[in-house]
Amino acid sequence: MSERKNDEFISYELKEFKLFEPLFRWARKKSLWIVAFCTGCGGIEMPPLATARYDFERFGIMPNPAPRMGDLFLITGYVTPKTLKRIIITYEMMQDPKYVLAHGSCPINGGVYWDSYNVVKQLDKYIPIDVAIAGCMPRAEAVMQGIMDIIRKIENGEADGWKRYRENYEWYRKNQDELFGEGWREKDAKRWLAWL
Amino acid sequence: MFDWKLALEAIGMVIYATFMGFIFMGIERKAMARIQRRIGPPIYQPIIDTLKLLGKKESVSHGLIYDFGPVFALGASITALLFIPIANFQLFSSNADLIVVAYLLEVPMLGIMLGAMSSGNPYSALGVQRGLLTMVAMQLPYGLALIALIQHWGTFKLSNIVALQQVHGWSITVPALLLAFIVFDIVFQALLGLEPFDIVSAPAEISMGPMVEYGGKHAALLFTQHAVQLFAETAFFAVLFLGGASNLLELLVKQIAVLFIAIFVASIYPRFTIDQAAKFFWKWPTIIGIIAVLLTM
Amino acid sequence: MNELMIMLFAPLVAGFIAWALDVRGIREAVGVLGTLVPLGVLAKYYSTIAGSNPEVVTQTITVGGFKLIFQLNTISWYFATIASLIGVAMAFGMVSTSRSSYEWLFALMSYTGVLGVFLSGDFVGFFLFWELMTFASFMMVLKRSRHESLKYFVLSVIGAYAMLIAIGILYAKIGALDFGTIRQALYMDAMLGSISKSLTALVFLLFLTAFGVKAGAVPLHVWAPGAYSEVDQSYTAFFSGALSKAGAYGFLLLYILMGAKLVAALGIWHNHMVFSYIIAWLGAITVVVAGFLAVLQEDIRKLFAYSSVSQVGYILLGLGIGTPLGFTGALFHVLSHAVFKGLFWLVVAALVLRTGKTRFEDFGGLAEKMPITFAMSLIAVLSLAGIPPMAGFASKWLIYEAAISAHMPLVAGAIFLGSALAFAYVVRFLYAVWFGQRPSDLEDVKEAPLPLLIGMAILAIPNIVFGVAPGLVTEYLGKFLGNPVGGNYYKLVTPTGTYNALLVAVLLVFGLAIAGLIFIYGAKTRRIPVTNTYQSGNPVTEDYNLSMRRNFYRPLAEALDFWLKYSWDRFYERLAGIAEDFADFLREGFYNGNVQSYAWYLAVVLLILALWGVL
Repeated sequence: MSERKNDEFISYELKEFKLFEPLFRWARKKSLWIVAFCTGCGGIEMPPLATARYDFERFGIMPNPAPRMGDLFLITGYVTPKTLKRIIITYEMMQDPKYVLAHGSCPINGGVYWDSYNVVKQLDKYIPIDVAIAGCMPRAEAVMQGIMDIIRKIENGEADGWKRYRENYEWYRKNQDELFGEGWREKDAKRWLAWL
Repeated sequence: MFDWKLALEAIGMVIYATFMGFIFMGIERKAMARIQRRIGPPIYQPIIDTLKLLGKKESVSHGLIYDFGPVFALGASITALLFIPIANFQLFSSNADLIVVAYLLEVPMLGIMLGAMSSGNPYSALGVQRGLLTMVAMQLPYGLALIALIQHWGTFKLSNIVALQQVHGWSITVPALLLAFIVFDIVFQALLGLEPFDIVSAPAEISMGPMVEYGGKHAALLFTQHAVQLFAETAFFAVLFLGGASNLLELLVKQIAVLFIAIFVASIYPRFTIDQAAKFFWKWPTIIGIIAVLLTM
Repeated sequence: MNELMIMLFAPLVAGFIAWALDVRGIREAVGVLGTLVPLGVLAKYYSTIAGSNPEVVTQTITVGGFKLIFQLNTISWYFATIASLIGVAMAFGMVSTSRSSYEWLFALMSYTGVLGVFLSGDFVGFFLFWELMTFASFMMVLKRSRHESLKYFVLSVIGAYAMLIAIGILYAKIGALDFGTIRQALYMDAMLGSISKSLTALVFLLFLTAFGVKAGAVPLHVWAPGAYSEVDQSYTAFFSGALSKAGAYGFLLLYILMGAKLVAALGIWHNHMVFSYIIAWLGAITVVVAGFLAVLQEDIRKLFAYSSVSQVGYILLGLGIGTPLGFTGALFHVLSHAVFKGLFWLVVAALVLRTGKTRFEDFGGLAEKMPITFAMSLIAVLSLAGIPPMAGFASKWLIYEAAISAHMPLVAGAIFLGSALAFAYVVRFLYAVWFGQRPSDLEDVKEAPLPLLIGMAILAIPNIVFGVAPGLVTEYLGKFLGNPVGGNYYKLVTPTGTYNALLVAVLLVFGLAIAGLIFIYGAKTRRIPVTNTYQSGNPVTEDYNLSMRRNFYRPLAEALDFWLKYSWDRFYERLAGIAEDFADFLREGFYNGNVQSYAWYLAVVLLILALWGVL
């Protein structure tokens, strides 16, 4: 059993590309690959976005099922502790720079589930969010607006959620552990053994 | 003794092929989008994607073989490219013939698979399994189409096949080779990994198959490899069946024609399962291929 | 004492010494020394055989009234050298894997047998050494598994009787047993036609059975998977690498001795010699059937056993093409199959030695634990899958060229399918054994021992050398095949195609350099464990192994379910069952233990004899 050390996800060397950095920055904003984590009702807003009506592919946005290549993490709807575990694992698997777009009211403050015992009220405590789109449900136009925002932020260098996650890892880690308990990764992995 | 002109040509061709390969990938996406009544990404989008992947600030590795896989795949693709006579550039094509090129075009797959397998991800393993079974399935009709072509022109050398076609007309004007062309075109769909044979990556089923663990610079290498491979395979097709070309522009037209057939087929067919694909390949394409080889005997 | 005799009997004598002394250390040293002697003698004769004016080294001895002729000519030197190369590698492997003097004795005895088969200049020696080789390998199998050895024994006996009858017919018609006389007589007879067509066909069929059993041609291959699995794996390197080549040598002999007569007797059909067309199709069917079976195996030894059968099919196919180019391809494949499959078996030997497991489901993630063995198996994989520039590709390429130029398109199609299958099963081997999650009981596996690694290196080097410089082999083979392949050491030129192995290698390095530059420019890599993989967001634990090991190619089995219902194994078993039932019926009907019926039999026999007029 390999120990997942606390610092394994953050203590690595970031490569600073000196010569081509402006080129890469331009490429980053023009090519956002989505890891669509369709947790809630917002998932149904994805098909109109991808198909002929709004067609986000014209901005170079493409759904991609593999998180290692992904850039933009779309959290579409409410988040329960069970899904949050998967979100955190997938988020940590994505490679820097990476951006998170929270979709709808639920990830911001719980939305209609404000008094539910089993919904994470504020996603921002567990992973950094770059752009949040309010609304229940936000229409596809609003999502497009959010995507435009994130493109603008990447251009300005303001979309620095991945940097915040690295810098404030202890804090995020503390919040995660408070919610799930210590060593939740191992525990969760082993929970499936009986089932398998 | 060292042939500077040839070396320069080779390097130039690698750069040109990479660039055009990316453009082909862009055309593929754009055309698909237009068929689905979307606007689609700009035609140079794959270049941006690759640059972005290369510009990732971190990269992870599952070990030496995981790193070696994509490097080997790109290296082998470049090698295959340099043995194909591309328009008026003969490059190294006098040193290797059709069988060698056909094999070299398969080597990159081994590289991708080596890397994918060493990641230990079951999705990758599933992708590898599907890729190999597709290859087993398509190899028989593929081989038969090539054999028909060789038997008709009586030579294995690609440059001679081109020269003969310039004199006697394109391969597809020969009835038996038209059959071979049909077979080859069906197989081509599987070679490019497009529907209905995109069983290998199957994005919605197995998360990109062999590619699932790749990210950052590894994925950038694989994208570049795909671009070179796409260029090489379309050129291979054009050389074999469409009479080659006397300049790069003519070749480009033929390559894009080949590409468009593939795109049109891909955009209207759903995906086979792997055993369906095997049964399909061993039925009609094989029968047509056998007729073609018997006609050219 | 003649050097040929030293070379022939050195392994046997060494085997007996090793067996008699049975002291750890000395046994191994004597064994290795015994295998090195033939290689040394062969190396010494290289200049005589392959020089500017080649001569044949002949030695005659008289044993019990029979004159045995041994000769070292260009062909037998080639085969004998391959056999002794594998033999040396086997000996190094056995130093690590074998703890039994019994195995040393019979392994070295079979080595002598193989050399004798290749060097014999007449059918007496040929048959005797053939039987020595069969007997020794049978004893090796017997030690591990009685059932498999019985299967091997029955099929070998069928082959041996077939050969004996064929030799008898030839002797009755020609009155000589040495190859030179037989060859001349049959050559003359091709024009005179005094031996009838049906008799020639019968002799051909008998030889086909005899050599087909040893080469493992479908449908006579059923002994191979069991026998190859149930011996010490280092010995299997020799068993599959050299013993099966005796079958191929037999087929070659068939061409040399009977070629003209068979063409005259069986005729020509659509520009193909009928008899060689049969061999070619036998090879093609073997390639495909054994390839499919290999893909579906779940046991590492069974996989390579079927793979051996499939690859020997290539050799038969190449011989069956019947053109000089085809012979070159087939004989080159004899070499390349020997080196890559020998390497594979030594890798398997190392795996079995270090883990004690043979099924794919028990392996995994060993690449980190046995890096050198892994590198060796990668070389073997590249060579078997036919990746240029490796020895396996050069020989396959020649067979392709030959098959297509000889206008055998469907046979060539079988090679295409067979090589895709080869690709499939070696990648499966790579995945299941070397990659993925490691089962917890393989945590303390160590690298293979040094002698085994030396054995592997001996076989790995030719894979690369003859891959980059295939001209070395084709030039030698050209000496007696009339130079069908031109070019130089690095470049093969046939009338219709070219393959420059060195250039492929150079350009591959060039391509790798470009790719490597891109790789180096990217971000620095961080090593992550095998559990850090994407499982749709689920955390992964090593307690449950997610790697696909069992039924890796199940979709193929589903696609083939119609064909998999039929099996040669079951067919033979049913045949054996019928024979047993028949024997039971006889036993119960006649030998029923009733004295009265025995008296009746006696009376009937006496009556018959009386009527015949004997009494």
